[in-house]
Amino acid sequence: MGFELFTSMMKEEWRLHSTVFGSISFALFPVLIFGIVFMSSFLLPLFRAVLPAGDLALVTIGVFLLLGVMVGGFGLLGNEVMNRRFGQMSLLAYSARSLPLSERYIFTTFIIKDIVYYLFLWVLPFVLGFAVASPFIGVPAMLPLLLFVSLTMTFLFGLSAIFFLSTVYSRSKPALLVIFAAVVVMAGWAFLSYGTRLGDLFPPLQLLRNATWISFFLSCILVIIPFVVSVLIFKPEYSGTSKRFINLLTPLTRKLSFFPTPPLAAKDLIDLWRSGGGIGQVLFSFLLPLGLIWFFLSVLKSLVPDYAILLVFAVTTGIISATMYTWITSFDTFSSYACLPVSVSTLITSKICTFTLLQVIPAVFIVIVTIITGMVQYLIPAMVLWGAVSLYALSVSIYLTGLTPNILVYDVRVLIAFLFLIGVPVMVVIALSFINPYFGIAALFLGIPAYGLVRKGYTRWEAKDMASF
Amino acid sequence: MVTVIEASGLTKQFGNTTAVDNVTLSVPQGALFGLLGPNGSGKTTMIKMLTGQIRPTTGMATVLGLDVVNDPVGVRKLVGIIPEQETPPSFLSAMEYLAFVGAVRKIPDIEEKAAWWFSFLEFEDKRDVLCKDLSRGTRQKLMFAQAFLHKPVLALIDEPLINFDPIMQRKVKGYLADYVKSGGTIFISTHILEIAEEICSGFAILHNGKLLYSGAISELSGKKQHLSEFFFSQVQI
Repeated sequence: MGFELFTSMMKEEWRLHSTVFGSISFALFPVLIFGIVFMSSFLLPLFRAVLPAGDLALVTIGVFLLLGVMVGGFGLLGNEVMNRRFGQMSLLAYSARSLPLSERYIFTTFIIKDIVYYLFLWVLPFVLGFAVASPFIGVPAMLPLLLFVSLTMTFLFGLSAIFFLSTVYSRSKPALLVIFAAVVVMAGWAFLSYGTRLGDLFPPLQLLRNATWISFFLSCILVIIPFVVSVLIFKPEYSGTSKRFINLLTPLTRKLSFFPTPPLAAKDLIDLWRSGGGIGQVLFSFLLPLGLIWFFLSVLKSLVPDYAILLVFAVTTGIISATMYTWITSFDTFSSYACLPVSVSTLITSKICTFTLLQVIPAVFIVIVTIITGMVQYLIPAMVLWGAVSLYALSVSIYLTGLTPNILVYDVRVLIAFLFLIGVPVMVVIALSFINPYFGIAALFLGIPAYGLVRKGYTRWEAKDMASF
Repeated sequence: MVTVIEASGLTKQFGNTTAVDNVTLSVPQGALFGLLGPNGSGKTTMIKMLTGQIRPTTGMATVLGLDVVNDPVGVRKLVGIIPEQETPPSFLSAMEYLAFVGAVRKIPDIEEKAAWWFSFLEFEDKRDVLCKDLSRGTRQKLMFAQAFLHKPVLALIDEPLINFDPIMQRKVKGYLADYVKSGGTIFISTHILEIAEEICSGFAILHNGKLLYSGAISELSGKKQHLSEFFFSQVQI
């Protein structure tokens, strides 16, 4: 029974992805990862010339940690997202009421399925790309194997940590705060007492840098303990509660009367807030990736001027800020509006307005980073770079994906088009900023293609049948 | 006689599948018109085309004089629609959803109107509960309310009573009959023949995307034939 549930969940996951992204596009995704890693491996000697090998390992580990966190996070929200996307449907993970299996058993199988599925989707293609290239670039034969073990452990830790944090959250919100505070205190203590970054103590990283049985054992412990604890303290939450909510929509619609379609914007903000997206999204989809990116960029400190790091960070923040478009579309489909006199272009315009409102978060963030780093004199170019790149990346998302930006994640053709359309202008503005920080203000010209892409996006998506009831 | 729905050669293909095949149909004002057919016969696709949610592959249709391809938003402004799958936004409460519909449709005094519907459909106790936490029946009540909130001259309803209990079914059937008496037009799609026979004045039978028959219920009583007998003779099952 256990294996049948597992294989059914695997099929379900595959069919969900291939339905959303197209079978071929989705099947090509691991091939794309393999290809990118294989080709990038030949640049390794170049990377090593500018970056210590240990820091390169840290960057790779950081990416897979983030991946584990994101996969775990989506697993927890998946049912709601899928209900919005496909109408009233039920994932096997939520089928304890119709199957003679306990919630805890289904939850455990669900996690194991996630582990196996994403190992095949992400980790294996990555390691295979490196392994196939390794004979040509003169790395030790054991390194691909070590990379596999270490990345697997990192990915699993990301998954199991997010399951642990979410189960703690469902039991006690103050307890979650205590855990966060403890991590911050530990990081501060390690740094102040020993001058060691907490990341450097991460066992899977130590395993990659200097493989020992102790680091392997510690890595296993780090994965197993949060996983076991989350299964033990797991508390299923059922919908169908009678919790009541006061009418926020009417006052919020009034407050947003300066928007072209105030009720649509008000609905987006309420969706975001009540889905738990408000704080969770800011933390996991914005601050965490940017924290990691800042950390990676700080590695380049000895190679480029400080202002260059700040400006590249502003550009990166712009790209990450553009993903806020997914925040306001994840819980929404055209079916919610299918019986109302609302066109697709009106909906997209409304999403742009809500998106603009959310940009207060990265704007404040950039100001804080500029002040903390003592580079207030570069505030204007940093703000312009962030804002222009963010709006431009939004316009590319709208043109390529309409109201379903999540498709960017796994549709290889769309992803490549996105990377190309973003990559070229971003490289140009970064190059200009390196010459002179104030040349970065030229990023304002990105407004012209952005406007064109949004207009084309309106026509493109207006002409398509939208998935509705 | 004024016609409110006029479809001519309406066809919809999804890849190699023809969901609706060359349907020509007209619905007069003041009718309670039933589009009948087994599951998968193309009824929902037909409603989607008539409300401008999907475009016909070929053919044309007008609803209240508006072309459904050229002015889909105009059509949806005038009509009320109840989809087969009830999908009010998850994170709005029932009251907020009606306020949302009211704001989008610019309906005055929405609080009062919403209160009337909560009372009429007997779900006042659920007004502040999130849509995602409502039962299917309550969601359908909410979708019913949103469709008639702006007092449309035409309502298109996909499987109108499927999630209602018998008491609520009787109440809703009464409402639909009164609505038609007061000059409105209803276009319902259903596969429950008893409901169609009880409330409809005109009907059409769709099978495998093709229109098999279109006429008045009164024609059947002239022949002393029940709708179900006639339906089975047409679809030849």
